[in-house]
Amino acid sequence: MMSEGAEKNPSKSPAPVVASVADLQVHFQSKRGIVHAVDGVSFDIHDGETLGLVGETGCGKSVTARSFLRLVPKPPGIDAGGSILFRPRTTCDACEGRGCESCHQTGRVSAGCSACSGKGCSECVQSGEETLDLMQVSNSRMRSLRGDRIAMIFQDPGKALNPALTIGSQIAEVFYQHRSAEVLDAANVDVSGIDPGSLLLKRQAAQQSRTIERTLLKIPPLRSRRNQITAAVDDMVADALAETQIANPRKIMQRYPHELSGGMRQRVMIAQALACNPDLLIADEPTTALDVTVQARILELIHELQQRRQTAVLYISHDLSLVRRICDRVAVMYAGRIVEISDADQIFQDPRHPYTRGLLAALPSATQSRGKLAAIEGTVPELVDPTPSCRFSGRCPNEVETCARFDPHLQSVGDEHSVACFIYHEPPEGSGGRPTLAARSS
Amino acid sequence: MQIRDYILRRLMVLPILIIGTSIIVFALTRIGGSPVGIYLSHEMTPAQVAEIEARFHLDEPVPVQYFYWISGVVRGDLGWSGVAAAPVAEVFPNKLAATMELAIASGLVAVALGIALGTIAGARRNRLPDHIIRIVAVSGASMPMFWFAILLLIVFWVNLGWFPLGRSDPNIFASIAHPTGLYTIDAILAGSFKAFVDAIWHLVLPAVALGYGATAIIARMMRSSLVEELQEDYVDAARAKGLPERLVLRRHARRNALIPTVTVIGLTFGFLLQGTVVAEIVFRWPGIGRWMAAAVLRGDQATIMIYVMFTSILFLVVNLVVDVVYAYLDRRVVLGE
Repeated sequence: MMSEGAEKNPSKSPAPVVASVADLQVHFQSKRGIVHAVDGVSFDIHDGETLGLVGETGCGKSVTARSFLRLVPKPPGIDAGGSILFRPRTTCDACEGRGCESCHQTGRVSAGCSACSGKGCSECVQSGEETLDLMQVSNSRMRSLRGDRIAMIFQDPGKALNPALTIGSQIAEVFYQHRSAEVLDAANVDVSGIDPGSLLLKRQAAQQSRTIERTLLKIPPLRSRRNQITAAVDDMVADALAETQIANPRKIMQRYPHELSGGMRQRVMIAQALACNPDLLIADEPTTALDVTVQARILELIHELQQRRQTAVLYISHDLSLVRRICDRVAVMYAGRIVEISDADQIFQDPRHPYTRGLLAALPSATQSRGKLAAIEGTVPELVDPTPSCRFSGRCPNEVETCARFDPHLQSVGDEHSVACFIYHEPPEGSGGRPTLAARSS
Repeated sequence: MQIRDYILRRLMVLPILIIGTSIIVFALTRIGGSPVGIYLSHEMTPAQVAEIEARFHLDEPVPVQYFYWISGVVRGDLGWSGVAAAPVAEVFPNKLAATMELAIASGLVAVALGIALGTIAGARRNRLPDHIIRIVAVSGASMPMFWFAILLLIVFWVNLGWFPLGRSDPNIFASIAHPTGLYTIDAILAGSFKAFVDAIWHLVLPAVALGYGATAIIARMMRSSLVEELQEDYVDAARAKGLPERLVLRRHARRNALIPTVTVIGLTFGFLLQGTVVAEIVFRWPGIGRWMAAAVLRGDQATIMIYVMFTSILFLVVNLVVDVVYAYLDRRVVLGE
């Protein structure tokens, strides 16, 4: 499954794969049975691309996204199988993350696989790069990736910021967690000694201080050194905020979330997410809670920052027109499955799966006359202990008997375009027959 | 508005409140009849009774009596306590110290333990520690205090003999000076370890009896509000930043969970004060609550007046403290608007 497209079209996709989801299954325990919220999802994300994950509420797109950070609550969540391979990059040595020729202005370079030192082995799926399965890595490794290599922007910035802490102290946490060495460096504090003071300061810079240690750090000789650390972090926070075009970042840092507008809060979230120059940014409907005018500016901002740093973005949305505007590739999810994945242009011009067709038909258009909006008949199936059948059967206009008995899987129908539907590929032997697009599509 | 201004403004209401309360309480106690009874004995003749009534202005109309009372209070004369057979102003500080020592000890333990237990239960929701803490909390909140106190008394004083009754050992009491009336503090000031241990030893049973209910209430509130906070988006956002679970809990969730808990802690204070009456009677603690109970039964109006006045002032101050702490924890609260 890994980078299938890349092997087939070496000329067309030069960007390496940063993350690869293979047969991901996340289930939930419920009173009525096991809910297959995500059931066999596979896709790749390449460096610097924006992959849109679209689907209606409850189709599993948020659960898929949260699986990258292992933020699905367990219980009731169950890891039912599959893997998410992720290739973390490290900071470019030549430019120390500022961006140079050798790292293509991204400030990041790929890290070699420690098992085979770059030659390619089973550990790194022959890529020669450090490869981690996010479903398997230890909790502490996961924590070191969160906010550093993989960052997330949440749907409602009003809820995703802690109301009791200032903006500055919330962003500072990212630096304390992942950049404590740089913080000490920038603060010009000498902590090379093994005296208690240096140890305390080191722990402070890594946000490990207990209450009693923080009290000790208020005593004059340590206090000035601690203040240097705080000042250095404040500088870093101010720079991060300035990146998102917030005017007067120093002032904003002192504020509490409730004192800012929705758009400002989302900028703060973006600044926080991009603070460590991540390889992958997961944006879970980042503009849904915002006004339309603010929405456009936030989108522009995300796009611009992404272009500059070549960060891969997994953009989750249910807004098709928005996805068309900003995404390079689009994956359409339905009832825990990806039913179609392709280039954004192609999927909008030539949708293949009946569900995608239905979705696009339901889009109102400015150019055509307003009639009744088209809708897909029926409702989303319950995902409790599903039988092997196409999830769209029962609502599909092209359905035949086969669809209710067998399970279609994603298969290629063209360049970088895969569809899970028996219209486009042979159903298993012994099935009733094959549906055609012409069946009832008129 | 500055927090200092807010506090000053709230405190300015205090004198008005005191006068208002005193009028109401004075009128109410006088409805129960003349307070003269407690000063009399069986041998007195009607002429002697009349003389006493005249001496203490008890033959005047109630508003005039009130005037005499309040002018006495202003001069520091709080009246004569028939129950204690001494001037109220003389007995009050010692009894108050005894009650405060008990209330503060159990209050502090209840707040610390309640928050800690609630945090543990909330963070380990539906697992064994949570179940245990919930059982402890439910029994604490539902057991009548007098019954629990008597139970402690039977087990630890009567049967096991581990803990003493009363407030201190007479010999040890006599061995040190008591400038504050808080025996634990006095022992520390005198540098006597033995007296300190003795003071703590006497405190344990009544403080446990008094503090259990409060601990339970605080722990339950803390648990439920922490469970709620842990489902908020900002908790996931904190995890997504790479924070260890310890910091997610302490720095993010717990702080917000404390906001509703602080309100409950303020209310618990009233619960403690009311509980001291029971705890003091059961454990023979020479405090204000036991004195008050006797005063009510025997119509000792001078004592009742001062007790009610004092309690209402205390409540006002506690509410003020709660408001200030609330504003400190929840930055969205604007004081004084």
